[in-house]
Amino acid sequence: MPSAIEVNGLGKRFGAVRAVDDLTFEVAEGRVTGFLGPNGSGKTTTLRMLLGLVSITAGTATFGGRRYVDLDHPVRHVGAALEATSFHPSRRAEDHLKTVALASDIPLTRVGETLELVGLSDVARRRVGKFSLGMRQRLQLATALLGEPEILILDEPANGLDPQGIQWLRTFIRHQASLGHAVLVSSHLLSEMEETVDDVVIISQGRLVLQTTLADMATQAGTGTGMRIRTPEIHRLAEVLNTVPVGWRQTAADTLVIDGATPEWFGPFAAQHQIVLYELVNERGSLEDVFLRLTQGFDAANPMGPASGQSAPFQTPPLQPPPPPHPEGPA
Amino acid sequence: MTAAVRSELLKIRTTAVPWVLAAIAVLLEAPVILTSFLDRRNIDGGFVPPQTTQELRNLLGSGFRGQGYLFALLLGTLIITTEFRHKTVTTSLLVTPRRLAFVVAKVITSAILGAALALLLLVVALVGGGITLSARGGSFSGLVHQIPAVAPGMILAFVLFAILGVGTGSILTNQVAAIIVVLGWSVLGESLLIQLVHSAYRWTPTGAGDAASNLTRGDRGSDIFPIFNWWQGTLLMLAYGLGFALVGSFFLRHRDIT
Repeated sequence: MPSAIEVNGLGKRFGAVRAVDDLTFEVAEGRVTGFLGPNGSGKTTTLRMLLGLVSITAGTATFGGRRYVDLDHPVRHVGAALEATSFHPSRRAEDHLKTVALASDIPLTRVGETLELVGLSDVARRRVGKFSLGMRQRLQLATALLGEPEILILDEPANGLDPQGIQWLRTFIRHQASLGHAVLVSSHLLSEMEETVDDVVIISQGRLVLQTTLADMATQAGTGTGMRIRTPEIHRLAEVLNTVPVGWRQTAADTLVIDGATPEWFGPFAAQHQIVLYELVNERGSLEDVFLRLTQGFDAANPMGPASGQSAPFQTPPLQPPPPPHPEGPA
Repeated sequence: MTAAVRSELLKIRTTAVPWVLAAIAVLLEAPVILTSFLDRRNIDGGFVPPQTTQELRNLLGSGFRGQGYLFALLLGTLIITTEFRHKTVTTSLLVTPRRLAFVVAKVITSAILGAALALLLLVVALVGGGITLSARGGSFSGLVHQIPAVAPGMILAFVLFAILGVGTGSILTNQVAAIIVVLGWSVLGESLLIQLVHSAYRWTPTGAGDAASNLTRGDRGSDIFPIFNWWQGTLLMLAYGLGFALVGSFFLRHRDIT
């Protein structure tokens, strides 16, 4: 699969701070690549370096071998929806898109088409200052799509979207990939992305932690699983479990977790000992767990955390990402 | 570049900036025009219509100099600083990633809008002056005939001041700071300077603008504040405006847009 985006040894220093350090990854055509990392890990800085907004202090970031600034009418090749991009509050949605279309020789008919595509046709003549966060996100996407680019860069596009909006966004992103376009989408929440992405690039503290496929990550998640059992006969179950070579631990008054067990083994085992069960749950590690495990060791906000993320045990994350702002959709 | 300028024109048209500035300019300039015409009295207090081209030019000039230049200057400044104030610069630089091209499009756009502002004020002068002249027995057609002699210099000066505004704004991208500096210089700094060093006037934007506009040619005999001739003034203003714009582009090239 040819690479649409190549990042090679990319680095950015702000004074003594290395915001991005020796970052190398690729984004393939026809695939959705999740660009994941905790808040402040350098995702936005990396994307802004790719797009020529932030100067690069080391390495290269190119689209098919060319820097963003060297592209002819770049918005017709690379569509970007960045966080914290603002609109002029008194400009109407369609006028905003027209300014972009005029400057890039994009037919003005695209303005109505993209507004329709993101579901903003009804508010095309409304001033953007009156838009909700979710509507701004959609207008941001419309701006990115205007030039029918073959590469899309989306920075936290799910922020501010309501659940229906997020569902729509997933479908939209998958559709773009099915057209053969390359999509690079950043998020600090893997769970938000796991139904959408094919590949993952995980960074923490400006450094690459892992580039792999989602399938590979899911395999990693499969390790270290167990079975959660809820039973009114927890003492008798503990007794019989001690007769077999499995590890287990009690997690609540009526609940225990058995390491590495499968339902195929435990079901007959419980029946054989005639133990009443209320709940039998196959507990797989989630992708989010793997993500947290990989990024936690690098977490600056958690200096007491494990030194190496790779070997860190599962544990409660020290910092939960804040919940998204009040869900808002187009009124 | 045509595409970029069309986009810039739409951008500025869809903000309040040009409309508010034009409205204030008309509201402030119209009375100035009227009073300068009405003030033309002879010793007995009777109205004297302007007789010569030079008289009319001075009359029109007295209304447009100073404040008029300042509006063109502010227009240029706001065209670029509004992008930073509302953070629309991110989208603009995604569309036009080369910082020099971004500033050049603003320069051309501000030149067009500066010319438009000059034309608007000329219309105000025609209407205001025309009404006064007709009411006082002067010749309206005489006024109209002066337009070709007056308009080119006036338009040129407004264009030059608008370009200077973009240059200033490209260096001082903070809108509030830019407006304070522009107003502070125009209202205080420049007058202080020329009171101290009279010969510095010809080097100030207003002095160079006066030379370019030709609007005060009648006053040029004044030995206290000598000015350049029109093309020297034009070149000096261009040097200021484009020089600032180049410096601004250079700063912008090394600036991270976050």
